[in-house]
Amino acid sequence: MIAEKIYLKPKSVDEAIKTALQHQASFRYLAGGTDVIVNKYQGNEEANCLIDITGIDELKTVTSDGEYLKIGALICLDDFKKHELISKTFPALINVAHEVASPMLRKTATIGGNVLCENRCSFYNQTERWREAVGYCLKCEGKTCIATGGKKSCFSRFVSDTAPVLISMDAQIEIADKDGIKTLPLESIYTGNGISPRNLSKIAIIKNIILPINRNFKCDFRKLRPREAVDFTSLTTAIAIDNNGKVKIVVGGVDPKPIIIEGTSADDKNELIKKAVKKARIVDNDVYSREYRKEMITVFLNRSFKVLR
Amino acid sequence: MRPINIKINNKVYNILVDEHEMLSKVIREKAGLTGTKIGCEQGSCGACTVLVNKEPVLSCITPALRFDGAEITTIEGIATNGELHLLQEKFVEKGAIQCGFCTPGMVITALDFVNKNPEPSIHEIKDALSGNVCRCTGYKKIIEAVAEYATEVKSSELKVKSSEPLIDKPKTTKGTVGVPRPYIEATKKVQGIADYADDYQTKDALHVKFTRSIHAHARILNIDTSEAMALEGVRYIATGKELPITFGVLPLSQDEEAIAIDKTRYVGEIVAAVAADSEEIAEHACKLIQVKYQPLKEFLTIDESFNDIGTAEKIHSTSKFNNNIHKKAELRFGDQQQGLKDAEVVLKMDFEMVGINHGFTEPHASTAFWDENGLTLISATQVSHYLHRALARTMEVPLSRVRVIKPHIGGGFGGKGDPFAHEIIVAHIARKTGKPVKVRLTREEVFLNNHGRHPTKMTIQLGANKDGLIKVLDAAVVIDGGAFGSFGIVTTYYNGVLLQAPYKLDNLGFITHRVYTNKPQCGAMRGHGAVNTRFAVESMIDDIAHQIKMDPVEMRMKNFLDPNSFTVGQYRITSNGIKQAIQTVAEQSDWKNKHGKMPEGHGFGVACGFFISGSALPIFWNELPQSVVHLKVDFDGRVLIASGANDIGQGSDTMLAIIVAEVLGISMDKTFVIAADTLITPVDLGSYSSRVTFMAGNAAKDAAENLKKEIETAVSKKKNIPAEELIFSENRVFSNDKTVDLSWDQAIEILTANRGAVNVSGKYISPKLGGDFKGAGAGLSPSYSFSSCISEVKVDTETGQVKILNVWGAHDCGRALNPLAVEGQLEGSWHMGIGQVMTEEMSYYNGLLLNNNFLDYKIPTSLDTPPIHTNIIETIDPEGPFGAKETGEGAIHAVLPSIANAIYDAVGIRITKLPIKSEDVLKLLKEKEKQNQTSKVEL
Repeated sequence: MIAEKIYLKPKSVDEAIKTALQHQASFRYLAGGTDVIVNKYQGNEEANCLIDITGIDELKTVTSDGEYLKIGALICLDDFKKHELISKTFPALINVAHEVASPMLRKTATIGGNVLCENRCSFYNQTERWREAVGYCLKCEGKTCIATGGKKSCFSRFVSDTAPVLISMDAQIEIADKDGIKTLPLESIYTGNGISPRNLSKIAIIKNIILPINRNFKCDFRKLRPREAVDFTSLTTAIAIDNNGKVKIVVGGVDPKPIIIEGTSADDKNELIKKAVKKARIVDNDVYSREYRKEMITVFLNRSFKVLR
Repeated sequence: MRPINIKINNKVYNILVDEHEMLSKVIREKAGLTGTKIGCEQGSCGACTVLVNKEPVLSCITPALRFDGAEITTIEGIATNGELHLLQEKFVEKGAIQCGFCTPGMVITALDFVNKNPEPSIHEIKDALSGNVCRCTGYKKIIEAVAEYATEVKSSELKVKSSEPLIDKPKTTKGTVGVPRPYIEATKKVQGIADYADDYQTKDALHVKFTRSIHAHARILNIDTSEAMALEGVRYIATGKELPITFGVLPLSQDEEAIAIDKTRYVGEIVAAVAADSEEIAEHACKLIQVKYQPLKEFLTIDESFNDIGTAEKIHSTSKFNNNIHKKAELRFGDQQQGLKDAEVVLKMDFEMVGINHGFTEPHASTAFWDENGLTLISATQVSHYLHRALARTMEVPLSRVRVIKPHIGGGFGGKGDPFAHEIIVAHIARKTGKPVKVRLTREEVFLNNHGRHPTKMTIQLGANKDGLIKVLDAAVVIDGGAFGSFGIVTTYYNGVLLQAPYKLDNLGFITHRVYTNKPQCGAMRGHGAVNTRFAVESMIDDIAHQIKMDPVEMRMKNFLDPNSFTVGQYRITSNGIKQAIQTVAEQSDWKNKHGKMPEGHGFGVACGFFISGSALPIFWNELPQSVVHLKVDFDGRVLIASGANDIGQGSDTMLAIIVAEVLGISMDKTFVIAADTLITPVDLGSYSSRVTFMAGNAAKDAAENLKKEIETAVSKKKNIPAEELIFSENRVFSNDKTVDLSWDQAIEILTANRGAVNVSGKYISPKLGGDFKGAGAGLSPSYSFSSCISEVKVDTETGQVKILNVWGAHDCGRALNPLAVEGQLEGSWHMGIGQVMTEEMSYYNGLLLNNNFLDYKIPTSLDTPPIHTNIIETIDPEGPFGAKETGEGAIHAVLPSIANAIYDAVGIRITKLPIKSEDVLKLLKEKEKQNQTSKVEL
C-alpha cells in the first residue's frame, strides 16, 4: 500500500523539536516549502512526516540590541523591505532577497529556508523516472557522479543567494537543537560535501540569523542567471568591506559550499580574486559551462571591487 | 485523510484532504473551483496563485493543511454580483487575455501588487509579474491593463460603470470589421469560469497514468503488470499489443504507436498505461510495473542518424537506406552554379539551432467515454478533425461513431496540432472499462510529448552583386525529427521552399533531410519550418550588406518581390506590404541615424520574413472544402455560427462573429459561436498553418452572404421591392428611400414565416495554385503575410550578456479584422521569437531531456521582454475575408535575426548558433579581438 503520511504544525520551537524526535525515522521540517515541496514532487524528498514550522511565531521577529541584528528564520524574503532595522543597516540584504526566485516565491520563501536551500545539480533536480533512466547519481544513492562522468564525490551546487551576502558580513546563526541553543558562524554549517552539504543535525531548527550592526559594511553582490527572474543562481558573488578594512569575499553557485576568501583592503585584490577562483570546484552541472562560470567569478568580483572602492 | 475547514470565496467548506495534498488540488477538485490553474506543478509559472488570508500564495506547492481555517479567495471570487472587478475589466478591455490560462494567476498577482503599490512604475509592474508565465501576449497588454488599472484606482472617484456588458464596448454597429475588441469569451476567462480540458469533472471517471521507457532505444522483452494490477483501485492496465494500429497526423507518416509495442524509441515513450480510481493510485501502480528491456544502439544526433549505421538496428524499419533518414526533399529553380559565378560577393555559412518547445501554459488533458453514440473525446486539441480521423482509425470504428469536443484551450502554437498517444489510450481504456477515463499530462510529460521546433543544422550559400541584388541562394539543411514523423515531411519541405520570398530569387536551390533520432518527436511550431533557415538567410543578407557597404534596409528594398507577382517556385504573391513594413519600422526606430552609428556595444538590426496564410492543400487528399461554416437563424433573430475551427486563444471564434455580423449588418450580440465539436460543427481542418482567418473566415463570409440572400429574397417578395435595394446595417434591413425599414427581428420574422429556422452554409476552397513539378504543393497558399522587425540591443563585452532594449515590428496582415487581436498575435510572436533567440532550448543528456520543467526551460519573463512597438500594415488582400490574411505565425520570423543582426551592429560578431548564449558571445568577441591583433601585427 501507499505509505501513510503525516502533517503536523507545532506552535513552538520546543514542540517542533519534540515532534521531530517522535518522527525521527522519516520527517522533514517545512518552512516556506518552496524548495522542499518541489523536491518532494520530484521524488528527491520522501519524508512521510512533514513538520510545518510556519505557525511558530517566535521565529518571526526582527530585533536589535544595538550591537547585533537578529532576523527570525521565518522572515519571508519579500518582507525584508518592511523592516527598517534591516533596510537601514543592511541594504544589500534587501537587494539580494529581491534577486531570489520570483515575487510570489519570495512571499513564501523564508530566510532560514534560503540559507538551508538544498544543493542543486542538473542531474539531481529531476523526477524519479528521469533519475532512474540516467542511472541514479551519488546524491540519490547512486554509485557515480554523472556531471563529472564518474568521479566519486558529489559537486552539487550551493545555490543560496542570501547566504553569500550574509556570510560576507560575518553572519551567525542561532540554532535550537535537542541539546539546547547555540550560535555558530553561518559558514561553519556548510560541509562542502554535495551529498550532505550541511552539518546540522536533522532535528535542529535555525532560530535567528545574527548580523553585527556597527561595522558599517559596504557590500556588493552579483548574480548570474539566464533570465532576470525565477532562475536559481549559476554564480553569486558577494564582497563586504567593514570599517576596519576587513574584506570578505564569498562565492556561491560554483561549489558544494560557499567559497570564502578573507583579506584586508590593503591586499592586492587581484590576488584575492585569484584565490577565490582557484578554490572553486566548478563542474559542468549547470546551464552555463564550467569555464564560463569560472571566468565570470573574476569579472563579477572586479566589478564589485570597483563599486566598493 | 484529515478534515479541514476553509472558507473559499466566503463559502465554508469542510473537506477531507490527504495529509500531503496541495491546496491547488483541494481547490480544483474538492471545492470544484477550476479557475485556479495548474501549469507547472512546481511554483514556476504562477497560474495557481490564490489569496490566502488576503496574501497571494502559489497553491500548487502549498500543502492544504497549512491553511486549515483560512479564508481563501480564488479567481471566481474576484467579481462581485456578476460585475467584473475593475482590474478584470482592464484585462478584458486591453486584450490582455488570449488563451486565458495564465489569466487567473495574473489577475490575483496583479491585484495584490497594486493594492500594496498603488503607484507602480512600468518596471515595478514587470517585476511583480515576473513569476507569472504568459506564452500568448508577450506581456505587453497585461502590463498595460495593470498600469491603467492602477492609474484609474488612483485617480479614483471611480466613474460610474456603464451598465452595458463590456464586450459590446465598441459601440458602433456600423460594421464590426476593423473595430478593436476583446474576445467574446474574455469575460468568462477573466473570471476563471471558462472550462479547459482538465476542468471537466466527469463522474465516476478513471484516471490514467503512464509507465514510460527509461531507454532511448530498446527492445521490450517483457512487461509484468501483475503486482500493479493487484493494487487496490487499479482497474485496467493497457500495453502496446492492444493498440496495434499506428497513427500520425500525415497520411504518409503513420509511424507512431500509442503504446510502444516491440520497442521504445525515446526515453519517456509510453510502455504501459494504468487506469485507476485516483491519479495517486495509478501513479503508484505505474512504479510497480516491471519492464525488461534489451537496449539497442541509440541514435541521438543528426550525424549519427544521417550516416550509414552499419549493423545497428534502424529506428524505423521503413527508412529506405541503411540510415535513419526519414525524408529528403530537394528542389532547384534556375541555375545555382551560374548564380554563384554571376555573384560578386558569395558567402557560405554554417548555422546550428537546437530544438525548442511550444511552452503553452495548459498541459495536455483529455477525457474519453463511450455511450450509445460511440466515442466522445474532450481534448485540448488544435485539430479536432484530424484527431477524429485518427480515433476512428485506431479504435477501428466508423467515422460516424466518433465525436471530438474541444473545450477552451490554454495555448497551442502547433503543440496541440497532432493526434496524441494519450488521446488514443484514454479512448481505448474507456471502451475496455466502460467508464469515462481522464488523463492530464504533467509538465515533464508535455515536454516528452514535444512536437516542437526541430533542431537544425545547415550550410547556406548566398551570393549578391555589389549593387545589392541577390543572385543565388542554395541551402543544405538537416533537421532532427526525433522518434516519429509528426508533421515532419512538411517541415522538411518548408525549410527549403519558404526561402523563396520575400526576395526575388532567380536561382534558388535546396536539399533538406529529416532524420529520426531517439528523442521526443519534433513537429510543427509557430512559424513552422521556416524560422531557422530564415534566421540564417537574414543574417547572411546583413553580412553581405556590410561587406558591400550598403544599408541593410536599402539592400532588402532592392530585392523585395512586388505585389501581384510570382516567386521562382511559382507561389502566387497577391497583396504584399513588405516595403511598407520595413519602412515603418525603419522610420519608427530612427534607423538611419542609429544603425552603424551607435557606440561599441550598442546596436540596431533589421530583418524580414513572410509566411503562408493557410496551406492551399489539405493534409488528406479529398474533395472536401477546407472549411465549412453553418449559420442558423430562428425566431429569436440570433445567428448561430457553427464552425469546426479551433479557437486556441488566438481569437478565431471572435473573428467568425465579426465577419458574420459585418456581412449581416448586425451587432455582435446577435451572434453566437459554437466551434470545434465534430458532431455539431462542420469540418474545418483546424488551427495550423495560419489558415483559420483566411479559410474559416472566408467560409463564414460565404455563409453570411448566403443568409443575407435568403433574407433579401424573403423581404423582397413580401415587401415587393427589388432585393438589390435592401441595405443591411445597424441591426436593420432597409431601402435607401425607407419604403422598407425593418428591424432585424422583423426581417427575420419575414424570413422564418411558414418556414421556421433557416440554415445556410458557406465554404472555402482554395483556388488551384502552383506548378506541376513534384514538391510544387509545399508552401502553396492563397495568400502570404509579410513582416519586418528592427531590434536594439546592448552587449556587455566582459560577460557576453545581451540585453534587448527595444523591438519594433510591422506585419502585413492584409486587413486587421480585430486590431486588438492582431496586435496580441504579433506581440506574442515576437515574445516567442525572443525566447528562441535568447534563452530557450531543449537540452539533452544521452537522450534525456535535462530541462523538462518551467524552471529550467527558460521562457522569457516579463522582465526579460523588452518594450515592443507594434505596427499593423494593411494591404487588403484580394481573396482574404474583407482583405484579411494570417497574423498568428508570420511575425515570428523576422525578430530572431533582427536581434542577431543588432548584435553584429553592436560588437561586430556574427551569430550562427541559437540560442545566443552569453558564453558564445564572449568566445566570439575574443576570437574577433585575436583576429584584430593578428591583422595589426601583419600590418
